[in-house]
Amino acid sequence: MFWQMLKGALVRQSRKMFMVAITIALGVSLTTAMLNVMLDVGDKVNRELKAYGANITVTPRAASVLRDIYGLESGPGGAGQYLQEADVGKLKTIFWANNIVGFAPSLETKAIAGTGDVTVVGTWFNRQLELPTGEVVETGIKELKSWWTVEGNWVSDTDINSAMVGSTLAHKLGIHTGDTVELVLPGDSRREKVTVQGLFNSGGPEDEQIFVTLPFLQKALNLEGKVGKIEVSAITTPENDLARKAAHDPQSLSLKDWETWYCTAYVSSIAYQIEEAVSGSRAKPVRQVAESEGTILQKTQLLMLLITVLSLAGSALGISNLLTANMMERSREFGLLKALGATDGDVLLLTLTEIILTGLAGGVAGYFLGLGFAQIIGQNVFGSAVAINMMVIPWVILSVILITLVGSLPAIRMLLSLRPAAVLHGR
Amino acid sequence: MSLLELQNVSMIYGNVKALQEIDLTVQQGEWLALMGPSGSGKTTLMNIIGCMDKASSGSIVLDGIDFSDVTAGNLTMLRREKIGLVFQQFHLIPYLTAVENIMVAQYYHSMPDEQEALAALERVGLKERARHLPSQLSGGEQQRVCIARALINYPMLILADEPTGNLDEANAKIVLEFFQQLHREGHTIIMVTHDPRVAELAERCIILEHGRIADRMDRRIVCREEEVS
Amino acid sequence: MAGDKKMTKYSMYTKMIWHALLRRRSRMLIALMAVAIGATVVSGLVTIYYDVPRQMGREFRSYGANLLLTPAGDQQIISESLVSNATSLLQADKLIGIAPYLYDRVKVNEQPLQVAGTRFQSVKKVSPYWQIRGNWPEDQSEDIVIGADIAERLKIEPGQQVTLTVAGNDTEKKVKVAGIVRTGGPEEEFVFLDLSLLQQMLHKEGVVSIAQVSITANEAELTALTQKIGQQVPGVAPRLVKQVTQSEQTVLGKLQALVYLVTIVVLLLTLICVATTMMAVVTERRKEIGLKKALGAENRSIILEFLGEGLALGALGGLMGTILGFFFAQAVSVNVFGRIISFQPLIALLALVVSIVVTGLACLIPVKIATDVEPAIVLRGE
Repeated sequence: MFWQMLKGALVRQSRKMFMVAITIALGVSLTTAMLNVMLDVGDKVNRELKAYGANITVTPRAASVLRDIYGLESGPGGAGQYLQEADVGKLKTIFWANNIVGFAPSLETKAIAGTGDVTVVGTWFNRQLELPTGEVVETGIKELKSWWTVEGNWVSDTDINSAMVGSTLAHKLGIHTGDTVELVLPGDSRREKVTVQGLFNSGGPEDEQIFVTLPFLQKALNLEGKVGKIEVSAITTPENDLARKAAHDPQSLSLKDWETWYCTAYVSSIAYQIEEAVSGSRAKPVRQVAESEGTILQKTQLLMLLITVLSLAGSALGISNLLTANMMERSREFGLLKALGATDGDVLLLTLTEIILTGLAGGVAGYFLGLGFAQIIGQNVFGSAVAINMMVIPWVILSVILITLVGSLPAIRMLLSLRPAAVLHGR
Repeated sequence: MSLLELQNVSMIYGNVKALQEIDLTVQQGEWLALMGPSGSGKTTLMNIIGCMDKASSGSIVLDGIDFSDVTAGNLTMLRREKIGLVFQQFHLIPYLTAVENIMVAQYYHSMPDEQEALAALERVGLKERARHLPSQLSGGEQQRVCIARALINYPMLILADEPTGNLDEANAKIVLEFFQQLHREGHTIIMVTHDPRVAELAERCIILEHGRIADRMDRRIVCREEEVS
Repeated sequence: MAGDKKMTKYSMYTKMIWHALLRRRSRMLIALMAVAIGATVVSGLVTIYYDVPRQMGREFRSYGANLLLTPAGDQQIISESLVSNATSLLQADKLIGIAPYLYDRVKVNEQPLQVAGTRFQSVKKVSPYWQIRGNWPEDQSEDIVIGADIAERLKIEPGQQVTLTVAGNDTEKKVKVAGIVRTGGPEEEFVFLDLSLLQQMLHKEGVVSIAQVSITANEAELTALTQKIGQQVPGVAPRLVKQVTQSEQTVLGKLQALVYLVTIVVLLLTLICVATTMMAVVTERRKEIGLKKALGAENRSIILEFLGEGLALGALGGLMGTILGFFFAQAVSVNVFGRIISFQPLIALLALVVSIVVTGLACLIPVKIATDVEPAIVLRGE
């Protein structure tokens, strides 16, 4: 009899319960989407912030090469002032290898071009590097310096004798794309020619420099296999007190704290591990980038959290409310059931079963719908898929239970106190 | 001239013939009882006479107006002007007081007039309950408010669908007494009932069966003896 | 007398709506809650959406200067008065700071080094990422700040005294190193001292090499500013720091797109929730509608009555929601950005209007359906 009543109740009220199920589905999809996005937004924004370029600079531990503003510096000093180019690949072997998004080694010198001095930088533009693991990565300043605008073409790393010239310098010396520039290099005053592939505008000091391929400059300066600096762009976790303490002096931490610090992607931790991998190096966070991205990440995550809380609270309340309205609308039907002899327990069971079934149907449909919404948001905003977080599921289940319970409570209380006669006679 | 004249009226819903070729004449001041088993079509007939439904075929003339061929909007107007309705389930608006419920009927007709509404309540003996909500009134009192409401716009015809169906003995008596008074005052009443004792109070009695008029009797003759459920 | 007629009809109309709302407390509360919740969420999110670029934009200033004022043409230096002419064209409330720099060479303890004269108070504002071990120099003092690389090489600690010699001038000056700056960038190779002091020592009073400006503005606004400055102050060549401005544009754009999408999704859900709740509440009154029709009401009258209720609910719920939503947006702004937002009358109006419209429509649909049904069916049936 119970099942017949249930079936009857469900069928007759199917349209109304369908509306409720749809609203629950939408609420659940919102919850799922928001939670997944919220948990992933930190990572996504972090990747976007990589547009600012390198946040770690790796230099030789020994006295760094002095740069001079005027005049030619006497040639690069002896050994100990350079890093090994072979060590560069080791960046992708550290514990945080996957957080290293891009890197570019470089070598810098003063040279004479035309009538005046220029700074010449040899580096990787977009080099294919084969790692000891067999993996191939593509990296270089093309990725690191995303804000450069190029007139002409980027240099191809295999085209050894090509160069790119900063716009300010090009304007000063009257250099155009396709021109050949002669450079007089320090040391034994060798003369080398490079072909200009393109002019770039960086909006910074690089606009006054010439960029050439690393092998070219290494050969010209007799510094094969050596680099002066490596710029690294890594995805990091915002700094907290532990990280700052560690950055100051890693040895001052307790063993437990040290492990926590080492195993969290703080910029200081990654820098420390780079120093372990690249021999004779000093890895320093570029504070201008590292500090700011930490701040912005934290604020973005907090903002998203609060927005999520508002939206979820709103939708939860709204759906509870709807359930109550729906229950009240059906008071007459329940009065009828009671008049037919159903006990309070029967009516309660019937109602709860209906609610549970509706909640279940709406919840499951909503979960998958929500995953879809999350992907739409991820693709449209960040151009990548949002990571599906399994932790979201228990929260969704909890919220559905909470919503349906809270929504039904006032209504159930009311209909348990109904007098069948009153309801039937429209009072 | 008769007040209401139905000629060859039929009502067909899909395959169901709710009413078949009904001929009926009602004179001004008559009290007509409509009886018949459930499903016989009495409520359908009432709805047609009460301008709440349109017949599939046939002609219906009330007060000289043929409304078998009238638009829905005009039906509403006719209903408003000429008919007073009393239902078994005394439909009152639950959030308005007794007097306000009557004023609603005035509102849709012409204009609300509190004094007139209070006077109407007084006529049914409910002046002191004027400011009470339906939930605060007994069944009988609610039905009396409905009667007052039915009368407020001076209808030509009062249609009552089992007005005592939901009332206990005592309240039914009061309501019926009131209908008798209305009859004495010259109102035309058509009342659906299954209770022969109620039908007894009427002047004339019509029995419907399967959509047709099974028998038309003058009250003294058969309605007393008919056992209809 | 026609005027009287209208008045009484109108007052009856109002009375019916009033009682419908007040004497059905539980139903009305449910409907009101639905509208209020919806309006809160909508007004809160929309306020946040409009506020995010401004607030976040200010956060991005922690990346440092986004505008440089350099000497025009082939000049190496510009006068400070020209710089202030240029900066007077900037909006004061959006300006974070202006840090002037004068570059030259010095010898510290006989070591040749690069020096920059600047105003430390301005540097704190423009480049908040400087980390000072020790102290910032006090105003009016002759204390200097040296870069971490130099400190390490020359083994100098904060508080130590060093000898400062300026090129072309043989007089030595003993100054105290107040602090050591660590940034992981080129600053670590510089010596910093107070601008006026350096100008004096170099006999280059009133000039600077460059001025770094940090101002809250998007790329378009900055480009317009550079054009304005370039036209009105010919001696100054303004340049955008593309590394900072372009990246800010990208990231900020994505954040706003994110909040926008989320707002849309939440808006849709809220609308549907409000609509379905209103529909449930109104559908319950089918019998009442049937009754009114039986009493001779025109469809139009009934629709107008329900519309009146819907509008009243929408207005009240909308008002409540707008206020609550503003408080929520305020809470977000204070907790995330540490700043308060000003009340936005336009958004409040929008939320109110949307509440009224949505509630009105949500009432109309079930009423329209109900009035299309013959009263007989409604009154007779379940």
